[in-house]
Amino acid sequence: MFDRRDFLKTCGAGSGALALAGTSKLAFGAAQANSYDTLVVVFLRGGMDGLSLFSPGGSNANRGAYETARPILKVPLSGAGAGLAVSGDQWRLHPRAAQLRDLYVGGKLAVVLGAGMPAPVTRSHFDAQVNMEVGLAGQGGGIGWLTRVLDSANLPGTVQIPAVSAGSITSTSLLGSTETITLASGTDFRIDSGSWAWNVEPDFRTTAPVGARGLFSVLPELWTPSGDFEAAGRQTLDALNVIKPIDFPGYVPANGAVYDAGSSFAQQLKMLAQLIKRDVGLRIATIDLGGWDTHDGQGNPANAYDYFGSKVEELSKGLGAFYADLNGSGAANYASTTSVVVMSEFGRRVRENDDGGTDHGYGNIMLALGGSVNGGQTFGTFAGLSTAQLFEGADVMVTTDYRRVMSEAVIRRLRNPSIYYAFPGYSGYTPLGIFQGTDLPPTGNDRIFANGFQ
Amino acid sequence: MVSAFASQVLSRRQLIQSLAAAIGVVDPAAMRRPGKAAVQAPAYAASPNLATPPGPVRWLQKATFGYCYSEFAAFAALPGGTDDARWTNWVTAQLNPAAINDSACDARIAAGGFTTLGKTLPQLWSQHHAEVNNYNLRMQPIAEIECATTIRATYSKRQLFEVMTDFWHDHFSTYGWDYDGGPMFVHYDRDVIRPNVFGNFRTMLESVAKSTTMMYYLDLYASTVAGPNENYARELIELHTLGAENYAGVMDPTDPSLPAGVIGDGLTARLKYVDEDVYEATRVLTGWTIKNGHWQFPADNDGTFVFRDSADWHDRFTKYVLNRRFAPDQGQQDGFKLFDLLAAHPGTANFIARKLCRRFIGDDPPAGLVASIAQLFQNTWQAPDQLRQVTQAILLSSEFKNAWGTKIKRPFNALIGALRGTFAEFTPTLATYGTDYPTKDEINSRLQQAGQRKFYWPAPNGYPDRAAAWASSGSLAMTWKLLVRLTEIRREVGYDGARPYVIDILGFTSAAFPAAADRTAANIVGYWCDVILGFRPEPVYTKAVDFLRQNAAPTEALNLNEAWAGGATPNLKNHYTQSRLRSTVALILCSPDALRR
Repeated sequence: MFDRRDFLKTCGAGSGALALAGTSKLAFGAAQANSYDTLVVVFLRGGMDGLSLFSPGGSNANRGAYETARPILKVPLSGAGAGLAVSGDQWRLHPRAAQLRDLYVGGKLAVVLGAGMPAPVTRSHFDAQVNMEVGLAGQGGGIGWLTRVLDSANLPGTVQIPAVSAGSITSTSLLGSTETITLASGTDFRIDSGSWAWNVEPDFRTTAPVGARGLFSVLPELWTPSGDFEAAGRQTLDALNVIKPIDFPGYVPANGAVYDAGSSFAQQLKMLAQLIKRDVGLRIATIDLGGWDTHDGQGNPANAYDYFGSKVEELSKGLGAFYADLNGSGAANYASTTSVVVMSEFGRRVRENDDGGTDHGYGNIMLALGGSVNGGQTFGTFAGLSTAQLFEGADVMVTTDYRRVMSEAVIRRLRNPSIYYAFPGYSGYTPLGIFQGTDLPPTGNDRIFANGFQ
Repeated sequence: MVSAFASQVLSRRQLIQSLAAAIGVVDPAAMRRPGKAAVQAPAYAASPNLATPPGPVRWLQKATFGYCYSEFAAFAALPGGTDDARWTNWVTAQLNPAAINDSACDARIAAGGFTTLGKTLPQLWSQHHAEVNNYNLRMQPIAEIECATTIRATYSKRQLFEVMTDFWHDHFSTYGWDYDGGPMFVHYDRDVIRPNVFGNFRTMLESVAKSTTMMYYLDLYASTVAGPNENYARELIELHTLGAENYAGVMDPTDPSLPAGVIGDGLTARLKYVDEDVYEATRVLTGWTIKNGHWQFPADNDGTFVFRDSADWHDRFTKYVLNRRFAPDQGQQDGFKLFDLLAAHPGTANFIARKLCRRFIGDDPPAGLVASIAQLFQNTWQAPDQLRQVTQAILLSSEFKNAWGTKIKRPFNALIGALRGTFAEFTPTLATYGTDYPTKDEINSRLQQAGQRKFYWPAPNGYPDRAAAWASSGSLAMTWKLLVRLTEIRREVGYDGARPYVIDILGFTSAAFPAAADRTAANIVGYWCDVILGFRPEPVYTKAVDFLRQNAAPTEALNLNEAWAGGATPNLKNHYTQSRLRSTVALILCSPDALRR
């Protein structure tokens, strides 16, 4: 119930004390990482082709059907661009996912098969994304499922940054949360672009006359009236104040982790790693990697032109660096309290099209990564690739509800049983065993408790 | 259980409060803190106590890229005895953009040194799309359209035309920097979107389908009998016409639960679409392609549209879309028939009417108005001025006139609004100055951080038009940062102190108050509130006066100096007053009253 770290931050209130927040653990000689877990949800926008990222291997009975359906696009078993065999060559990771292969073999990465949204079936990107992120069939409500997770998380009364949506626009899964900061770049996230002379303490400069107040400290006074827009403005000012003391450019990743400077995905993961290590109370983060809608010219790892492979490499390198950065020992073992779930709105048609691409499909894979993931294996069942085994004779069948995977992460890692509140209409949850942790009987939300603060 | 839980929470909260009180500070720097609701429905409503500017100010804020004083003066000079009469005249004039003298804006563009804006489609094809070594040359057309769009949004007197061009670019959104579409973007903007903004939707739909830019963006150019590609057909129905609200999902098209009804052409059709309709529409549009030097037709290579009717290109067999039969062997007529069907469909009318009303009135516009606009859209679906009639009906509606503060200016609108409100001098061009960082590039980069660089949205659904997207901390904070920077940035090269400011704040202030005795904080802030906001709302006015005056009285004349006045006994009213004046304008630009519409 009681979170010592959050409590300590409250005791050390005020902006001066914030700079010390990250050191409280050292001061008290704690021998573990954060006392709470962080769930990072990576959304691959556009419909990632799971059959290329994780293709049937040489010992997989579906290999023949896969090669028939994918004469041009298939990831080969041998020669240039051969897939990376895992699980006794039942499966092949894409050859440009070397970091993911290492994590899989090392037992930190698991793959969920046949994952997706059972109903309603939609091949619209935008419908599918909204349905999944709102956590409801039919798009109602306008509140994200992760917002409801936060709302029911039984958090301490004061938490610096419970959630981050990496990007300029809040991900739908965190819509409606007043505790989330939406930011694309921590370094840029400060209003220090005004005149030098009036950009002063308590803003950004220290050499100013006594009593001078800068533009940034006056700005909140314009946003005091009631109204939704003014509330959003105050929310933004909160976020700016919370982020301001953090030295993002000065952050040095641990364990030799290298985040690709040219990848905003990698740079945002780096920002999240820094916030996790800073112990700001981060429970939930969302981050996007787009560009997966490969109707045309998807490419093949055996060839010089390999568009899909370059996306895979960005994903793999980013997640590899993130895990390495967090994977210290003892008090620096943040990997054990950080879980990453990778998802996409749907998979792609099993049969490739005539333009070297794939059209919208249905079932897909999900990835689970972290020090507390039972990795090195697949979860869920794969219905198969013969025509009779496919959804409408065309797509990978959905055999694992994505909500089941998310619910397990929420219960076992975030220790929040309120999954039926996060996912209205969901029932019959049982764990697959992807994550380590203790099972709690799934519940809706205890609204009386939630209202207790008000 | 519950009560024990609650008391535990209370005791902890009390403990926290007492500790905080003992230290003597309250910590604002936490996103979660006691007494703050964790969830706020993203439904967006204006404050009931909102300070409301006069009617013409509200209407101009919403129907242009931002209120500006010269536009207001021109409005006031229009014939008509009342604001309502003048508004009707303003809308009528704006709906006939060709009759508006826009020579000043045209001259800015003419002076910009642009070289691609007048090129024909085949010229764009041969001189830019064919360029594979020099990326900047290849992409010069989209780079110049980005500049020209900013110039027109800021300076064109055809403001409604520019606003509607922005709307339709969002509706038929393509990623401007697409490797194949970018070189052709001049054609897309100039010949496809703009000519149809006040024209006929059906005409625009077909023009978009045939455009080189859209052909590449959604892969229609490569869709053939042997290799149908459903990317375009799906977005044609989901995003361009019927909308996802009329998508029944993966269902049998003959399912009796799917409703049918009479559509705009007087015949019946199914009212909801299913996946089978996407596949059938894909077949309908096979053979719609471009002359791109395809190996079968190497001599056809100028980037223009072509329909190929041969058996391996166009699917000649019977098709069914929305329960309508498409007879075999009809060639390109199949496509025309599909566009007719979609343009006459009530689902399209409703979807587009709602989007238009959302743009001008609010995120969830009144159902009655949407229904009446949809009816007009459908009734006029064959009229050459369909979209002029529809736009006019929305702008003259009482719902439009009365709504205020229901929308947030998106970042591009916030930028242009700030430029318009401050008489700014910003004419972005492709000219570069050695290795310096041009002002245009900095502003575009900051727009990107705020989430809305023009023609930069990667997905085909266009930039969001709901408050929830733009009220995010990420977008709003980066918009503020851009607007604050706008008061400091120099022309052409942002950090080059030898160049004049984009906004000549000192010059306009001095000109407005030629007598030094009139340069009081109250007068100066009043002036900038008037020109930027069209009124003097609280608390913005008083807070801005307080910041500008410092320890002077509001009515005390300020010495517009630029000097240090610190020391042991600082005299802040004399401390860097020119800088303070610029920051004062920045505060007004960053106020909620400047950013709502």
